[in-house]
Amino acid sequence: MIDFDAYIKKFDSLVTKYIPPKEQWTPSDYATYGPQDLYRVPEKKANELCFEAIKYQFKRHYENNKIYHKFCDTQNFSIDKIKNYVDLEKIPLIPDKFYKDYPTGRDFALWLSNIITGELPTIKISGKNPSFDDVINDFNASGMVVAYSSGTSGKHTFIPRDLRTFNVAEYLGAKVVLTMAYPIWEYDMYGFLLMPNPFKTNVFAGKVCTIYFDVIKDVKVAIDREIDTETIRLSMLGGRGIKTTLASIAIKRMYSKIVNNIIKWLEQNEKQGNKIAFAGAPFLLYSVMNKLEKDGKTFNFSNRGAILTGGGWKIHEDIRVSVNDFRKKVESILGIKPEHCLDLYGMVEGNGWMTHCPEGHYLHVPHSYYHAMVFDDELKPIGYGKFGRFAFLDGSTYSYPGFIISGDRVKLLEHCPVCDRPGPVLEPEIKRAPGEETRGCAEEMRKMLATDLGR
Amino acid sequence: MLTPWEIKKKEYLPPLLMIKMNLLGMLSLVKILLLNLGAIRVAKNQEKKNIYIRPKPTYKIPDYEQGMKYCKSDEKYLRPTLYCNCQAPEIIALANQLGAYKKSEYEFAQAAFEFAKRKIILEFVPLDGVVETLRRGTGTCLHKISIFIALCRAAGIQARYKFFALTMLDEWAQPALNNAPLMKKWYDVMGFFLLHGEGEIYVDGKWIPGDVGAEPERQASVWLPVTKLGEDSIGIWLFPIPGTIIQRESIPLGLRLPSKVLMNRLVPNSVAGLNNGIIEQIEKGKKIIKEAGGEKAYDLLARQKRAKSMSMPKASLVEKSDKIIFEE
Repeated sequence: MIDFDAYIKKFDSLVTKYIPPKEQWTPSDYATYGPQDLYRVPEKKANELCFEAIKYQFKRHYENNKIYHKFCDTQNFSIDKIKNYVDLEKIPLIPDKFYKDYPTGRDFALWLSNIITGELPTIKISGKNPSFDDVINDFNASGMVVAYSSGTSGKHTFIPRDLRTFNVAEYLGAKVVLTMAYPIWEYDMYGFLLMPNPFKTNVFAGKVCTIYFDVIKDVKVAIDREIDTETIRLSMLGGRGIKTTLASIAIKRMYSKIVNNIIKWLEQNEKQGNKIAFAGAPFLLYSVMNKLEKDGKTFNFSNRGAILTGGGWKIHEDIRVSVNDFRKKVESILGIKPEHCLDLYGMVEGNGWMTHCPEGHYLHVPHSYYHAMVFDDELKPIGYGKFGRFAFLDGSTYSYPGFIISGDRVKLLEHCPVCDRPGPVLEPEIKRAPGEETRGCAEEMRKMLATDLGR
Repeated sequence: MLTPWEIKKKEYLPPLLMIKMNLLGMLSLVKILLLNLGAIRVAKNQEKKNIYIRPKPTYKIPDYEQGMKYCKSDEKYLRPTLYCNCQAPEIIALANQLGAYKKSEYEFAQAAFEFAKRKIILEFVPLDGVVETLRRGTGTCLHKISIFIALCRAAGIQARYKFFALTMLDEWAQPALNNAPLMKKWYDVMGFFLLHGEGEIYVDGKWIPGDVGAEPERQASVWLPVTKLGEDSIGIWLFPIPGTIIQRESIPLGLRLPSKVLMNRLVPNSVAGLNNGIIEQIEKGKKIIKEAGGEKAYDLLARQKRAKSMSMPKASLVEKSDKIIFEE
C-alpha cells in the first residue's frame, strides 16, 4: 500500500497550478498548503497556524476593505485587539445574508466591486442593464472567480473570489477528500461528477470541482449543459411559463438519461475491473440505486469504489434520506464499503471543507486555517456540545472577509468520538437554523432535475 | 353587476403572472390530490376528524347612525372595490368608533391597523366581503387586509393592496402545516406559497406598508417583534419570490371560487387542521408574552434579539469604482 506521504506528494504533483510558489507564501498559505494531512495537525501547531492565518487575513481585510473596516469600527474592533488565539472569537462576523443583499443591473457590478478586499482588475461591463450572469461573466473574464449558491426563494448568494482564493478553495476541497479517502484514490481511476460541468457554470459547488479533472484521469459529468443564475432561479421556484415548462420537459428527459448513463458507466467499469469514484449530489446516485434495485441489479466494487457526497440529503421534496441509510444502500447495491462513502460539508461563503472520517463519519474541521464556532439565538458563543448557529473564521480568503455567521444549525464537538484525529468535529447531518430558508448545492441540482411535481 | 369598464378601472383583472402562478398551483394541487386519493379517502372516513371551533369575536360592531361621516369619493384607492365595501354601514360605524375624522390620518390608520391585526383572527375561509368578515371575526390575510383598507378608505385615506408569492420562515408556517399533511405536501411541492398580501396607505405623500396578517400572539410564538403600521413583513418572516410583487387597488376577480372549492370541498379536514394549528400558535404566543412580562416587555426583548442578529456591514451601492467600466 502506498504510504501517506507519497500519496499526498502524488496529489500535489498533479495540482501544482493551484499552489503559489513557496517564496510567495503568506501565513495563510502556510496554514493551508503547508500541512500534509490537514486533519492530523497537532492541536497546538494547528492553533498557531490558524491564529497567524486569521490574523493576517483580518489585517488585510481591515485595511483594504472599506465596508468591513467601517463594520469593525461600529463594533469597536481593530487589529490591536487580536493578541492571542482566544481573541479571534471577538472578530466581527458578517451574517451570510449580507451576500444576498444586492441591487440589480449595473449597480450589482458596483456592489461586487465595493465588497471586494484589495485591488480589482479593470472590468468592462457590457450592456445598459446587465443580468447577474452578464456581470459575473465580465468579472470572471477579468480574472475574478465570482460564484454563487441559491436558497429556496431563488435568491442567490454571490461571493467574489479572486483566482488565488478560488485556487485555495479547489485545492483544499480536493486535498481533504483524498486525505480522508486514503489510500483509495489514484490518478488512473474513473470518476463521475454528479454535478453540472464545472466549466459550464458559475454555481460554486459545480465550479469548485474543476480540480477533479486534474486528479482523476477520466471524468464524466452528469449535467453537461450551461447552468446560469436564471436556470437555477426558475428551477428553485418550480415551473412558470412556457419557457420553463419546455425546459422542465427537457430536464425530465435528461434526468432519466443521466440515470441510465450512470448505470451503463457502472457496468462498463465493473466489467473492466476499474476503480471508480463518484462525487456530488446524493439524490442522483440514490435514483440510480433505486433503479438498480427495481431492476434487480447489483455491483461489487468493494475496494475499487469511493463515493463523496455533499450538498444535502433531500431525495425528494418531502423525503430526506439519512446518511446511514444511504451508506447501507450503497453497500448493498454497489458493494462499496461504508468507510469509502464520505460526505463533505462546505459552503459558498468559505473555503472550509468539513469531511467525514471513515471511522465514525463525523465532519472534521480543517483546524489549521479554519476556526469553527457555534452561537446561540442571542449570538453568544456556546462552545462545544450544544446545537446552535454555525460561524467560522476562514484564514484562507484573500478577496473578501471570510468571517461569517451562517444559517446552518450544527453541534460542534471538541474531538471526534470515534477516531483519533485531533481537532474539532461537527456532528453529521447539518440542518438549517430556525429562520433560515433551505439551501444546499444538492438541493439546487435536485430542484433543477426533479420536475416531476408531487412525486 | 360588474361592467367591463369597472373591471378595468378598478383593476379587477388579475395580472398575467398571478394567473400563471395560480394555474400552476392548482395543477400541482390536483396532481397531489390524485396521487393521494387513498389518503383523502382515509381522512374522509376516519373517525377522528379535525374539528375547528371558531373563536368568538372579542368586539361588538357598533350601530350605524345616520349622518356618520365617511368618504364618498369615487377616486382610485378611496372607493369600494371587490370584497372591500368601504361604504357599508358596519364599516362606517366602526371607522367612526375608531376615530375617523377626529384623529390625524396617521393616528386613525394606526387604530384601523391594530383593529384588523388584533381583532380579526387568522382563519382559512373562502374569500368573502368585509361585512361578513367583521361579523365572523376571522379571515385569511386577504380578509384582514380588506378590513384595514376599508376602514382607511371610509376615513378618506387612500389604501391599496400589495400581493406577492412567497416563502416563509419554517417555524412560522410549519405549526399550522403540520396539522394539514396534504397542504404541507402541496407547499413542499411548490416550494413557495402562492399568495400573501399587505395593505398600503398613502399618508403625508408616501405609501406606508402595514401587514395585518399576523396577530401579536402568533408573532410571539416564534419570537418575532410585534410589528406596527409602517413595518413591512418582508424580510422579517416573509420572503417574496423575486419579481412577483404587485400593487393593486383591488383583490382580483377569480379567487373566490377556487378558494371555496378548495376549502369547503376538496380538503376541509386539512383546512380545519390548519386553523387548529393557528389557534395553537396563538396559545403558545400568549404564554411567551406572559412569561416575558407583558406585550411591551416581550416586544422589546424580541427586537433586541433581532437587532443583534441583524447587525450587518453596510455596502455602499452608489460608490463608483474606477476599475469598473460600463460599456454601452
